[in-house]
Amino acid sequence: MKNVIAYAEHRHGETRKVTFELASEAGKIAAALGGKAHAVVLGPGSEQLAGQLKSYPLDTIFLNDDVDVEGFLLDPIVDYLEAAARVAGPSLMLIPNTLSGRDVAGRLMVRLDAGMVADVVEMKVDGDAVVCTSPKLGGALITQCALRPADYGVVTVRPNAFAVATGGAGARLEPIAKPAGKSYSAVIERDVEEGAGELALEEAPVVVAGGRGLGGPEPFETLLKPLARAFGGAVGASRAAADAGWVPYNLQIGQTGKTVTPNLYIAVGISGAIQHKVGMRASGTIVAINKDAAAPIGEFSDLLVVGDAFRIVPELTKLVENR
Amino acid sequence: MKIVVTIKLVPNPNAEKRIDPQTKRLVRTGVETVLNPYDEYALEAALQLKERAGGDTTVTIFSMAPDSLKEGLRRALAMGADDAVVLSDEALEGSDVSATAYAMAAALRTLKFDLLVVGGLTDDGSTGAVPGALAEHLGLPCITNARKVDVNDGTIEVERETDSGYQIVRGPLPALLTTALTFGEPRYASLKGIMGAKKKSIATISLQDLALDRPVGTTGSKTELRSFAPPPVRGKGKVIEANDGLSGAQAIFDFLAEKRLV
Ligand SMILES: Cc1cc2nc3c(=O)[nH]c(=O)nc-3n(C[C@H](O)[C@H](O)[C@H](O)COP(=O)(O)OP(=O)(O)OC[C@H]3O[C@@H](n4cnc5c(N)ncnc54)[C@H](O)[C@@H]3O)c2cc1C
Ligand SMILES: Nc1ncnc2c1ncn2[C@@H]1O[C@H](COP(=O)(O)O)[C@@H](O)[C@H]1O
Repeated sequence: MKNVIAYAEHRHGETRKVTFELASEAGKIAAALGGKAHAVVLGPGSEQLAGQLKSYPLDTIFLNDDVDVEGFLLDPIVDYLEAAARVAGPSLMLIPNTLSGRDVAGRLMVRLDAGMVADVVEMKVDGDAVVCTSPKLGGALITQCALRPADYGVVTVRPNAFAVATGGAGARLEPIAKPAGKSYSAVIERDVEEGAGELALEEAPVVVAGGRGLGGPEPFETLLKPLARAFGGAVGASRAAADAGWVPYNLQIGQTGKTVTPNLYIAVGISGAIQHKVGMRASGTIVAINKDAAAPIGEFSDLLVVGDAFRIVPELTKLVENR
Repeated sequence: MKIVVTIKLVPNPNAEKRIDPQTKRLVRTGVETVLNPYDEYALEAALQLKERAGGDTTVTIFSMAPDSLKEGLRRALAMGADDAVVLSDEALEGSDVSATAYAMAAALRTLKFDLLVVGGLTDDGSTGAVPGALAEHLGLPCITNARKVDVNDGTIEVERETDSGYQIVRGPLPALLTTALTFGEPRYASLKGIMGAKKKSIATISLQDLALDRPVGTTGSKTELRSFAPPPVRGKGKVIEANDGLSGAQAIFDFLAEKRLV
């Protein structure tokens, strides 16, 4: 492992902050390894994103706007990433820890006969090994795991963990040829966008999350959304709220939902069950609003305000809006 | 149709987790285990498919686990699976995700199936890499995060949840599938199911039954756990009673202002 390759996940050129976090970190680690940093951008919209990535500390941006990338489920992406890895030579592959990123990483691990560390929040080069910090068992343990020296390694990177830093001499764009002789099997017949334009929950600097205490779907719209908007943040939920159908499952935070690490997490009408805690415990500051002074969330909140969310949240929204 | 579902037995989330300082491995013996939550959803999906398909459709559980834990799989049998196969071998201890997926794939290859249903993520390892890795090793189409599945004439059609919506994906069988939570709450085992599970078969296979061409376990792993520690303690913070909305809001605002968060 000498070089570092960041996979730039995107939709039609639109990407998330994690892509730039990966590109920044790729430059740093490659410098420490004494190798080169590259990025791979695939599918329609590649050129637009590659243009943005040029100002990051990268050597080469491999790209191909192949429409098959949108027509088949991840198969072409895995092929192209493998091809880029072979062109670049021994490399550490940085993949975002997103739904599709995890699938890509597992497949690439086998293709490249690589070791893999998941959900990484910090990386260090130690001699010829790369040592990765990642929370395990729902954050109950923080582990340091080394990728043993080998040609290739794969890491999935937790969104919001690494700093974004532009710089470098301007990356070179290099078209990468379509890997030959593959027949793809999983066809995407239809691709439907639902929550387009909303800030990704994992990347929001502030998350305002609601639970069963909100009593129904309306308060998510009328109470939480305005507060989240005032902070420039996003709305999340407990499983109880998602199970009740008040919000879609992709807002659920916790063991069987998303893991978030915003600077500020505001839990509104959420009791703080262990399965919820594991998805938000690593947040910077945690504030809870709960009627019940004995709610478990109080045990790991920096501030618990005991009171009625329906009265407190609108007032807080006004204060934040007028700051 | 023959369906295989992979299920991992993981420590109860409420139990205290301990890592053996010598081996640097999670202590799995003497700890109460549960079926990995995502895998319960995978099993639910498989059981729904079996009910819909009827006929001679079967659901087999596959797990890689120490012999001492395998009885925990009766819970999955009680939910309605037909039988279970466990890959168990001391030489597997300390396997990382690459070695685990490699050994699992070798064992799964010996089971003939039309559909392999895998959970999306484990509670303990949490790599989410096993499904993709199994698909590569076994040369299967890899269709993940399904919230609706239809199987017809050797074809699988899936409604797949994405981060920003959904996709309709189609592929040939045999295939690998992972399921989203939206597939539906896993069923409870009925009393009849629990009684029936006692008589169902849990077969054990060991590495001798498989022809592996690379090592597994600690030596076959490409990663090495160097150290581990609990996260910084997050103690109980301030508690403020708010008698009315404004005083509660002001207390939060002042607290955030002090921390420069507003
Ligand atoms: C396998 C498994 C996986 C799970 N995964 C998750 C997961 O990923 N995420 C998750 O969140 N949960 C998960 N759960 C569920 C979890 O155990 C809890 O049931 C759930 O988190 C509770 O949600 P809640 O806090 O919204 O509801 P409750 O526990 O009912 O809490 C509601 C809170 O609202 C307060 N309240 C009521 N009215 C008001 C008011 N007007 N103003 C202020 N406060 C008010 C109450 O005092 C109470 O504390 C999982 C459970 C299992 C078994
Ligand atoms: N030892 C195991 N036995 C059975 N299934 C497993 C095992 N390890 C992983 N899996 C399956 O792979 C999925 C993803 O696991 P992971 O990649 O470890 O997060 C799980 O939800 C399980 O379905």
